[in-house]
Amino acid sequence: MSVSRLQSIADRTRRSTAGNGQTAVGPDPEAIRQTQKLMEEAASLKSVATAFERWHEDMITLTKQNRVMHDMGEDLATIVRQLIMLSLNAAVEAARAGQSARGFVVVAAEVRSLALRAQTLSGELGKNLRKNDLVTTATFQDIQAGGKMMMAALSGLEGLVKKLNECVSSDRTG
Amino acid sequence: MTVQVSERAKLGLAEAFRRAARDALVRDSNDTCTVEPLKAEPSETLQEGVTLFVITISSFAFRLLALFQVDADSAAREYYQRARIEPLDEAFAEVTNLCCGALNRELSSHFEHLAMSTPFRLSAKCLAYLEDLRPHYLARYLVTINASVRVQCALCVCCSASVDFAIAEQSTPVQGGELEMF
Repeated sequence: MSVSRLQSIADRTRRSTAGNGQTAVGPDPEAIRQTQKLMEEAASLKSVATAFERWHEDMITLTKQNRVMHDMGEDLATIVRQLIMLSLNAAVEAARAGQSARGFVVVAAEVRSLALRAQTLSGELGKNLRKNDLVTTATFQDIQAGGKMMMAALSGLEGLVKKLNECVSSDRTG
Repeated sequence: MTVQVSERAKLGLAEAFRRAARDALVRDSNDTCTVEPLKAEPSETLQEGVTLFVITISSFAFRLLALFQVDADSAAREYYQRARIEPLDEAFAEVTNLCCGALNRELSSHFEHLAMSTPFRLSAKCLAYLEDLRPHYLARYLVTINASVRVQCALCVCCSASVDFAIAEQSTPVQGGELEMF
């Protein structure tokens, strides 16, 4: 419902109640019909709460998923730490074995290199998960607070429309 | 047109937070409370596992994230867990909720439509990524109560329209505890 339409209803209401200075002007049927329609629209807009609830549930799912990814990231970090230790031990053992394990020294060094790269990636994953946590939470809370804000605004609008309807529906004298 | 938070709005926000902290973070009116801006980047000092509570105040023009972190030491436990029935996290979540409620009330006199989220717990490491929210204004404060309980708070404002408001100075003197703003 546009502001100009509301203005039009208000103008019609004024004309119907004030008339041309004469007394006992009755309610305008068109104004009543329009304000009742306005009431219905204002009431139906409140069903936007259903959409907010749906977004809220989706965000809870997303938050839980973030938690699962954190747990997986922590498991990965543990594995990577163990892998680094293992590759270090392998390098030491290969060095002890001497000439006969020259090939194994190369393999151990490669494994260690891969493990260190995995450690860097694991660290970056952790940082990105925390960044994700913050952005997700900020969005989640904005939706939650925004939903409350809009519902309060709609309730206020509904109250105003009801008052307008009461004004239009009642008989006035000029 | 560039979207921004005006200088007087920044001052107003600082004043509104100072009042909210005094109202809600302090449990007894005789307790001392100092609020001072923090300059240090949080990522340098925070440890994994430190609890952070986040609450958002939203309006059509902006959203304000308030992020509260308490040092989980004996002083904080003694102060906020008086009955020692509930965990510190729960007690602190309630306190942060009250503080944001007070901040919300202060801002409500300047913005017609405002609403507040519920508190949400995060790892304090997340504070290092506030810039990723592309804030138009970011302020950090240290609240010290009775010279022993330390609460850190970050206010992060992201706008979709310029924010400008002014908060009048409080006419009534503060009763009870000392209150300083540096």
